[in-house]
Amino acid sequence: MSTSGSVLGVGFRTLLRREILRYVRRPRNTFLPPMITNVLYFAVFGIVLGGRIDRIAGFRYIVFILPGLVVLGAISNAFENASFSIFHGRWNEYIHEALTSPLSYTSMVLAYIAASALRGILVGIIIAGVGFVFLTATVAPIGVARPGYLVAFGLVITVLFASFGVVGGLWARDFDYLTVMNQFIIRPLVFFGGVFYSLDVLPEPYRTLSLLNPMVYMVDGVRYGFLGYADIDPNLSLAVLSGLAAAVVALDVALFRRGYGLVD
Amino acid sequence: MAPPAIHTRDLVKEYADVTALRGLSLTVEQGEFFGLLGPNGAGKTTFINVLVGLVRKTAGEATVFGHDVERDYREARDAIGLAPQEFNVDRFFPIREVLEHKAGYHGIPAAEARRRADEALKTVGIYDKRDTRFDWLSGGMKRRFMLARALVSDPDLLILDEPTAGVDVQLRHDLWEIINRMNDAGTTILLTTHYIEEAERLCDRVAIVDEGRKVEVASPGDLMDRGTDTITLGLRNPPATPPEVNLGGVTDVSLTDGRLLVTAARGSALVPDLIRELDERGFEVTDVDIERASLEEVFVDMTRSERAGGRRDESEDGEVGRAAAGTGGDAGTDVEVSR
Repeated sequence: MSTSGSVLGVGFRTLLRREILRYVRRPRNTFLPPMITNVLYFAVFGIVLGGRIDRIAGFRYIVFILPGLVVLGAISNAFENASFSIFHGRWNEYIHEALTSPLSYTSMVLAYIAASALRGILVGIIIAGVGFVFLTATVAPIGVARPGYLVAFGLVITVLFASFGVVGGLWARDFDYLTVMNQFIIRPLVFFGGVFYSLDVLPEPYRTLSLLNPMVYMVDGVRYGFLGYADIDPNLSLAVLSGLAAAVVALDVALFRRGYGLVD
Repeated sequence: MAPPAIHTRDLVKEYADVTALRGLSLTVEQGEFFGLLGPNGAGKTTFINVLVGLVRKTAGEATVFGHDVERDYREARDAIGLAPQEFNVDRFFPIREVLEHKAGYHGIPAAEARRRADEALKTVGIYDKRDTRFDWLSGGMKRRFMLARALVSDPDLLILDEPTAGVDVQLRHDLWEIINRMNDAGTTILLTTHYIEEAERLCDRVAIVDEGRKVEVASPGDLMDRGTDTITLGLRNPPATPPEVNLGGVTDVSLTDGRLLVTAARGSALVPDLIRELDERGFEVTDVDIERASLEEVFVDMTRSERAGGRRDESEDGEVGRAAAGTGGDAGTDVEVSR
């Protein structure tokens, strides 16, 4: 009987594949928009305005903002994918195909999170690629200072936001909820999370207040991976973010088990 | 002894402002073709959704092949193939892939899932549409696809919620044939339908439910026996007033256009005695026509009397619960439960 299969068995792999194919087959809807947006970011902030901004921590402005833009794109897409896919499935009720199957709740949650985190990572790679093209054309190509940290932070932040996306997809009662979450919660946190500036330029109490924003640790950690420069101890950031991600994944599983937003 | 395919006891589902199931107890044995009849809002779909995990019960027990639908949800769901009334199909993928996914969720490896998807599409006759997305299928093809999706995991229990709603006669007969073949091969079938004829033709037993309760469980034939048949007799010299008939089971005798109309339970069994009695009274019977009570009439009578009884009890007791109007069920059927 298939139910004896493991959490990561055929059922999990099928749902994971379905979730990945959903966005891979629609690159114009999923990968092209962040590519174009980031071409604009790099062109305007990096080239047009960046030339008039002093170096930050010894880095040209376009180099400094690259990690932040990668984080912004990666987590937005991880969040959006999970929230949209789950909400759309609820809205049209085809999520019942998975819900009425012998998939365990943990398998379902892990499949949604893994597929969404992968989309975030792919978008992050695309944005990094756009950035490297701009850097190569205008300044000089840069390498990755701490690849291990970059991979670790990339994984943990996309998993974290994919997990938040699952909560959002279960909570949403309407398509407007998805827009609200992205525009009014995630974007402000990211923009005040040190994507476009170093925390050192902030006066007190704003610098200390910024440390309450989890985005600060994420941007700082990815920046450390790319540039080898961080305002905060990257190991501490990684530990806190990993703990948070584990907690939100556990919350997702609990919500699925309770049937929150899924069953009557 | 093999556990029943479906067993529920005192199943209750309460929403904020409405109670959909009020202590519904049902047992469907393995291999049965079981019909669930009831008017709109009777709780049929809620009952099904409790079994597949789309509705969380408020109280009571529900098992599928002995597996508790909440505690052993994976085993219970693995046994079920569901064709719901509403079209809840993944619109992102061609229908063949939708079936492959559904099979995969049931733990069936990719190559086997592809084979089963093709087989299911061929069974329902839409294999040539395999690369089409659901939205582009005609209404009849959509109904066929719903059945294919229920079949693809090769379930032991096939649950069909109004499978022939809104389809033409030809397709309805096609679907009946497929479902019958499944049942002949040993698959237990739970069918809800508004088409009484469908239940009459297909089901071994039917449960009539109304307002979240079971009114009766019996075979369609037994239920029809409980209705009143109408016997119409032509008389060579019809009298001016209806003759007296002293036979058990006769509920009414009347004359219309010179023909004698006798209504009676189990009318066909009564005909020889009726003719003999009329003969003894000097009436020569020229022809006889028997119109059997339809399941539909029995159904309407039962749900009507149930509702009338419900209203009476509610006004007397000030609460919703009441005893059953039915007279009890046959083997495997619990006595109606009131709350």
